[in-house]
Amino acid sequence: MNRLIYIATRLLKTGLVAVAVVLLSFFLIRLAPGDAAVVMAGQSGYADETFVKSLRAEYGLDQPLPVQLWKYVTAVAHGDLGTSYERREPVLKVILERLPNTLLLDAFALLLAMSGGIWLGALAARRPGSAGDAGVTVLSMLFHAVPQFWLGMMMVLVFSIWLAWLPPFGIATMGADYAGLARLADIARHMILPGVTLALYYLAGYARLTRTAMIEVAELDFVKTARAKGIGERQVARRHILRNALIPLVTYAGLQASILVGGSVLVENVFSWPGIGTLAYEAVNARDNPLLLGIFMVTALLVSLFNLITDISYSIADPRVEVGG
Amino acid sequence: MLGRRAVLGAAAAMPFAAGCTRSSASGSARGGVLNAMMADEPATLCYPLLNTRLTQEICGNINESLLLLDWQFKPQPNLARRFTVSPDGLTYSFHLQPGVRWHDGAPFTAHDVVFSCDVMLRQLNPRSRNAMAHCETIRALDPLTVEFRLREPFNAFLLSLMASCAPMMPAHIYEGTDFRTNPCNVRPIGTGPYRFARWERGQYIHLTRNDHYWRASQPRLNDIYFRLCPTPEQRMVALETGAVDVAFADDIDTVVTSRLLANPDLIASSRGYEGVGEITVLEMNHRRWPFSDRRFRAAFMHALDRDFMVKAINFGQGKVATGPIPSSAPYYDPKVLTLYPHDPVRARALLDEMGLKPKRGGVRHRFGFLIIPNGGGTWTRMAQYIRQAVAEVGLDMVLESSDLPTFSRRTGNWDFDMDCNSYGEYGDPAIGTSRFFLSSNIRKGVPLTNIQGYVNPDVDRLFTQAAVATAPGEAQACYSRLQQILTRDVAMLWMYERAPLLFQHRRVHDLVSGPNGPTDGLGRTYIA
Amino acid sequence: MKDFARAFLSRPGAILGLCVFAAIVAIALAAPFIFARGPFIIVGMPLLPPGAPGLPAGSDVLGRDMIAGLAFGARVSLLVGVTSTLVAAGIGVLLGAAAGYYGGLVDDLLMRVTEFFQIIPSFVLLMVLVAFLKPSLASTVIGIALVSWPQVARVARGEFMALRAREFVEAARTLGESDVHIIFAQILPNALPPIVVVSSMMVGSAILTESALSFLGLGDPNLMSWGSMIGGSRSAMWVAWWTTVLPGLAIMVTVLALNFVGDGLNAALHPRRHR
Repeated sequence: MNRLIYIATRLLKTGLVAVAVVLLSFFLIRLAPGDAAVVMAGQSGYADETFVKSLRAEYGLDQPLPVQLWKYVTAVAHGDLGTSYERREPVLKVILERLPNTLLLDAFALLLAMSGGIWLGALAARRPGSAGDAGVTVLSMLFHAVPQFWLGMMMVLVFSIWLAWLPPFGIATMGADYAGLARLADIARHMILPGVTLALYYLAGYARLTRTAMIEVAELDFVKTARAKGIGERQVARRHILRNALIPLVTYAGLQASILVGGSVLVENVFSWPGIGTLAYEAVNARDNPLLLGIFMVTALLVSLFNLITDISYSIADPRVEVGG
Repeated sequence: MLGRRAVLGAAAAMPFAAGCTRSSASGSARGGVLNAMMADEPATLCYPLLNTRLTQEICGNINESLLLLDWQFKPQPNLARRFTVSPDGLTYSFHLQPGVRWHDGAPFTAHDVVFSCDVMLRQLNPRSRNAMAHCETIRALDPLTVEFRLREPFNAFLLSLMASCAPMMPAHIYEGTDFRTNPCNVRPIGTGPYRFARWERGQYIHLTRNDHYWRASQPRLNDIYFRLCPTPEQRMVALETGAVDVAFADDIDTVVTSRLLANPDLIASSRGYEGVGEITVLEMNHRRWPFSDRRFRAAFMHALDRDFMVKAINFGQGKVATGPIPSSAPYYDPKVLTLYPHDPVRARALLDEMGLKPKRGGVRHRFGFLIIPNGGGTWTRMAQYIRQAVAEVGLDMVLESSDLPTFSRRTGNWDFDMDCNSYGEYGDPAIGTSRFFLSSNIRKGVPLTNIQGYVNPDVDRLFTQAAVATAPGEAQACYSRLQQILTRDVAMLWMYERAPLLFQHRRVHDLVSGPNGPTDGLGRTYIA
Repeated sequence: MKDFARAFLSRPGAILGLCVFAAIVAIALAAPFIFARGPFIIVGMPLLPPGAPGLPAGSDVLGRDMIAGLAFGARVSLLVGVTSTLVAAGIGVLLGAAAGYYGGLVDDLLMRVTEFFQIIPSFVLLMVLVAFLKPSLASTVIGIALVSWPQVARVARGEFMALRAREFVEAARTLGESDVHIIFAQILPNALPPIVVVSSMMVGSAILTESALSFLGLGDPNLMSWGSMIGGSRSAMWVAWWTTVLPGLAIMVTVLALNFVGDGLNAALHPRRHR
């Protein structure tokens, strides 16, 4: 029962966050200096007053701000996020076209980061203070200090320009038009460089966290008991220490989600990965307000949804978690 | 095509070189697929609705114009098989090719021409509006004859029926519909050598051969793909690896020119954009001092080493501009121009003379410079060079970066000191040049007009006279005088003429057949 | 304090970080004197390789001295890193203190706002903010501060919550001291060390964020920054590796040094957690 109330309040909170996102981004973006009508007119190479005026009326830019907000909110409630100025297509459609690519890349990166990080962290925790431990610490600090976009460019420089092993840009080989399995393999090849770039930053975080958690858990009574029982050191590490150390890692993943979106903007940009991140950058540059609003909302929703899931699974995984607040 | 090694030095020096002519001696190679690139996805493929370089490259294959330009800028038949102009310059009659059909099988008639020019283009395409404003009536005399009656003579009128200015649109599809939401906007219908086949979002736009094209010898390719390639690096790699066969203007960042010129599989050419005749310029807000002072503008010009700009910023593409009319275009008159060579000493003397003496820290004047947004490429490099160059003569230029809306709004509302841009002349000063100098085109809130606020009654009179001139030599006399006045006035700061390089793989032939380049369509292009 | 210093200095990483950081500060301060004509002066043809006469690190896409650019870039990075952290710490302490001190509804409300800022994709928000405020040094600093204060706010709140029940605070309250006085004069000095540590960690990430913004062309075009050096030579990478490799290394070394210092501070403050 308690857990149900907890989940319900978390759901309510997520809804409130979504409303707040809509309001904030709407006002933020309307304060912007640009006006899409002028841009669209400018794109044609020539412009005159009536042309600009007709565009402005077409997109409702000539109406007062509260009216625009009201229209926007009611439309959003109906699942209509407006029409992109730049693409002249429904915003939701544009976003949904790109979203799977971002989710694919992010999921791959997260998986890579978690598995690699936990492995490295466990390695370091086994013998705290050893050279291996110090190595992991230094490595994790290094990846936290490298600008992600630059790391991506270095990947391109080494693996694409110098060694010519992996494709540097895009999601698929241009012009190949593969189908079926060959297409999947092609996408996988293209995902390696951006995925690894994105993962290395979080990998460092996971390694540090795993190391700390495992050292702490290793000092707890039940682990000492297990050791005393004569269970092998490897098994103690895997069965008892790692499992308990995993709990904070789940929360960490939730917290990282919003940062992951930011990292995607940069890494997708470097690798021309056709996802939400590239779309956000294009939208900012083109001052495509409805699209930007949409991206903002969809990503914020996704992140809070992800948080919701990690929170709930956390509460299930660890019964000691305080329910409420 | 010019050889790739010769191209940088020679191309600009001989604008009418016989390298590419409309008639090609090559055999009858047919078939094959051509891969080209698009830097971003167009919002629509409705040509009049979105008339940018990208849609021109794609839709140029689908929607044809009545006339084409040859290398001498003389009108040549296209959908119009011949035309007549009355001696008073008021009546233009066009006789259409018989037997032309739209891609959906409907016949192409004079009614389509009237609808395109009088309704659709006039309503949607600001550039056509300008030209069509000269027309009193546009009528179909019979199914294959169209007559345009002008209010007063306009000697550049034929040019406004070229490629990108007046693509013919199907009346039976668009008439009576909402042009902005017509479903054909994303699967366009035209009369051109290639039909629209498929638009795979985020990947490519596919055109396929029009088997019923009215020119029996064309098209020669089977398919054309425009593949999405959003970043310059990506486009360069695509070209190097052979994933695409051609790179059009601005597809490739000039920084990597040397790398591509060294590639034996590629041929470079700087022909094909003379029809646009683009000049990169700096604009000053003449309403504000000291920009209102001719001496300041002259000093600014003398402070810049424009040879260096061409060599180091554009990596050799293009040439220094000498005035408002590109050196490759009609009416260009090098004899009357006032030139402004790199001469910092002279620049300082001019600034001293106008009383703009160095103050604290050696700074004479501080002002803003609005950069056109392009993600750190050529424009930013140019702005940073200029800032440094004018610092040498005591001017403190503050760079302001912006996004496209901000740029358009601030320039349109005259809220700037200086800005930079690149303007096409489109074959005739009456189409592409006069708009920046006529005092009647000072229109607050509208970008791409006379935003400088340049006012000179002589210039107004000469531009008006030149556009309506019918006597031989009269227009030339007016434009010569205009070039003299405008360069003496430093009415605008002309930096360089753009001659962007096109790259193509060796197996591609006849890519460009006139000064409008890919905009004319790739009907004659073949692979061998 | 003495213990703190000893604990800090006992960590070789922290000392090394401090030394490197000091060297970078020295370079940043000395840059205008060594390269009197600024980082934008054109000294030769573009893309000359390192080792060309007078150009130990080569020239960039416009024929400018890479070394001068790197030296001036340090100024921007450090300036943005430090000022934006100070602003963020200011906002964070203010909100965190209010939430922790008053508790109840105020706490609830402020923490919801903090959570909100942590949940929304901050880099997208930052791009929007900077683009709308017009890219400049000030908008970069304000933007970074606005998306990074929640970290400080959480730490401050925790400290204030723990400290508000302590005897010296109770004593001040019975003496009739005002809330403002208690917050700033009584609790804040005691809450400061952990706030300083968390802030020191933020300088490095602020530098990274600044470089990312400049890389995307959202930096001040009048300043030579490491991020804009990389962003401006994205295509040049294919013909001249040094134009992108060197500024990236500069960012990495700086942030690494700062993180080692922050790590040292953290360890000195919580000696039990580290061994």
